[in-house]
Amino acid sequence: MQILKALQIKPWLAQDQETESFSLVPNREKAASTALKFFLAVITVIFFLFTITFLQRTQSYDFQALSGEPWLPFTNASILWQNSIYLIMASISIILAKKSADLLSFKGVFISLTTTALFTVLFIGGQVQVWQQLNQSGFYIYANPANSYYFLLTGMHALHIVAGVLVFIRCIWLFSLDLSYQRLASRLKLCARYWHFLLFIWLFLFFLLTGDAQTFKTIALFCGF
Amino acid sequence: MENIAVADQVDQSSHPSSFLSKYVWSQDHKVIAIQYSITAILVGLIALILSGIMRLQLGFPNEFSFIDPSSYLQFVTMHGMIMVIYLLTALLLGGFGNYLIPLMIGARDMVFPYLNMLSYWTYLLSVLVLVSSFFVSGGPSGAGWTLYPPQAILSGTPGADAGILLMLISLAIFIVAFTMGGLNYVSTILQARAKGMTLMRMPLTIWGIFIATILGLLAFPALLVSAIMMIFDKVVGTSFFMPAILSLGETLDHSGGSPILFQHLFWFFGHPEVYIVALPAFGMVSDVIAVHARKNIFGYRMMVWAIVAIGGLSFVVWAHHMYVSGMNPYFGFFFATTTLIIAIPTALKVYNWLLTLWRGNIHLTVPMLFAIGFIFTFTHGGLTGLMLGNVVIDLPLSDTFFVVAHFHMVMGVSPVMVLFAAIYHWFPLLTGRFLNKALGKFHFWGTFLGTYAIYLPMHYLGFLGVPRRYFAMGETDFIPESAQTLNAGITVSAIIVGLVQLVFIVNLIWSTFKGKKSGRNPWQATSLEWQTAQFPPGHGNWGEHVPQVHRWAYDYSIPQVKDDFIPQNYSPAEVEYLSRDQNNSREER
Repeated sequence: MQILKALQIKPWLAQDQETESFSLVPNREKAASTALKFFLAVITVIFFLFTITFLQRTQSYDFQALSGEPWLPFTNASILWQNSIYLIMASISIILAKKSADLLSFKGVFISLTTTALFTVLFIGGQVQVWQQLNQSGFYIYANPANSYYFLLTGMHALHIVAGVLVFIRCIWLFSLDLSYQRLASRLKLCARYWHFLLFIWLFLFFLLTGDAQTFKTIALFCGF
Repeated sequence: MENIAVADQVDQSSHPSSFLSKYVWSQDHKVIAIQYSITAILVGLIALILSGIMRLQLGFPNEFSFIDPSSYLQFVTMHGMIMVIYLLTALLLGGFGNYLIPLMIGARDMVFPYLNMLSYWTYLLSVLVLVSSFFVSGGPSGAGWTLYPPQAILSGTPGADAGILLMLISLAIFIVAFTMGGLNYVSTILQARAKGMTLMRMPLTIWGIFIATILGLLAFPALLVSAIMMIFDKVVGTSFFMPAILSLGETLDHSGGSPILFQHLFWFFGHPEVYIVALPAFGMVSDVIAVHARKNIFGYRMMVWAIVAIGGLSFVVWAHHMYVSGMNPYFGFFFATTTLIIAIPTALKVYNWLLTLWRGNIHLTVPMLFAIGFIFTFTHGGLTGLMLGNVVIDLPLSDTFFVVAHFHMVMGVSPVMVLFAAIYHWFPLLTGRFLNKALGKFHFWGTFLGTYAIYLPMHYLGFLGVPRRYFAMGETDFIPESAQTLNAGITVSAIIVGLVQLVFIVNLIWSTFKGKKSGRNPWQATSLEWQTAQFPPGHGNWGEHVPQVHRWAYDYSIPQVKDDFIPQNYSPAEVEYLSRDQNNSREER
């Protein structure tokens, strides 16, 4: 634990040569990477808190899980699987885009960036489709806490994806200005990390929101709710 | 991989030339800091006026026709929310954080200047949304600054329509602004420090701001989550926090929600918020005391550890705000214990400030007066915190004026004392001029004695059982008439303290243009912000070369050294020593 070691230094004593020559050689990529780590921590806290409140609510008398019985929407969650595949594809193609940028291949960059954008848009579209289907089948946002949480959590997730897309568009725009593959690669590296993180959050939400009553009971028992 | 040193990027951010790019759409951290500060102080003045109106009602009930029970609750709510979030958080982190971080760690600017600018404008938007609620039908929310559901969004509560929505939306916008700023602060501190500026060489101001920012980044999401869920309850008709409820004889559509859940979320943010405000204040007061006592801060390492420990502990004490909401007795025991444990690192800091003063060469300058004043008010507020942290003492005192007195002393008056100390201390860095000393001393004594005149008697009102948030006491058996006299006295003191702040504002404006010139480094401080090439520091802060750091920030009164301070950027070769004769004669003196 480097930080614990750092906290034990006595700065009032004469410093050894190593500390004296301490240099961060700061650069933008490192700074952006640090900021992204903290940002991901912020998002984690947001979804963690939503999850805690959700798990508590699963045990209330009026909670009706969205899967388990044949008439419930996510007993057959094929459309959500389809959306998951879109997001996985977007996550893979953004890595390919980064690799293509490392190889200075314009064609590779172009194809993989287009694929990323396409699959991300397909994911968002797929999510909107699920919301519409839920509404059409009478699973309104206010009808049941499970529905409320479904709309709320997937909505928050989609909002984060949209924010990511805006940053992604900015990367492409900046690349079109300076055509520096090096900078594009370093930006795409961070974009990819964000995409993977949101994929992870989505898979977690998928598991959480499509659980049946028995699963929630087990989780709640385990968590002490 | 390309390696662009942030330190060498001064010319990349072109120097702003037009008025707009220099003072309005500026990406310079110093200008953004001033924008943050002015906005926060202006909105704080609104909250100050609201508190004056509340005091008029409490001191002289039924004398003022423009205050009715509804508007009183609205003033309470807006006063609390503005002071805690839009003034203190914004001024300490947005104002001082922005100004001091790059200068104190030897950076040219924040690592993301554009994001920094965006952070300020988003903050301004949140302020405008909040203030706009004064002008909508029904007025601002009157739910109390804690916004507890169900009453916050039910008809019957003042501002339950547009007011509460604007409040929640404004909070969400503020959190977005804070996140943009906060990511900048932590990334800058971690990635853009000058050569030689190790973590343990950073001034305590930076440590306080650093840990407070991390707390903010991890705690504000709880407020965001609760605000979003409450907006859904209000607008879409979900039941996250709303139980089955009968309101004004009508059965509402909500069912099954938990109001207590909101309280948990709110205080999971609310308690760290206390330290988001307190930690930067702890840091700044440490530096002010060390500089004006010409002594190194006592126990630097302990001070850093205490800041980190307080930050960590602040996340496990939140439910001490909810003893009266009802909870498992073991939880009460747990939260009381953790709350009392926080007293250890906090007391350690108080002792270290005192020990820094002990045998120091104390200069009773205006910043130092405010810093010493802070030690008094903070100790006072902290001690009543020990009382309220215990379940058995909290239960009878909860929702009385004792609590109001406690939290105003500990997180109202104390951080404000530090803010004043900091403004008087760093004003020469901003303007090259001192704030007027005589007006400053008048301001200090008026504020210090005045706040005691307000809050000491308030503790007694609490002991008597006078409840908070009541528009008028009416006739009761347990509150004697003398309590009303005390209330009137408190109001007179509050009005006087409010007026004394006008002297400060006048001083601020007058000294900016006509104040006595300070010259470079007027307090003879060691930290980097005073060692810039240009004074006051210009765009890019450091001229051609960023400084190299050779020592910590507290080399004061080192024996055998010619001056009684060694700036952080002085190499061992640059330090001038006294000859043996001079040293002997100094010792004899």
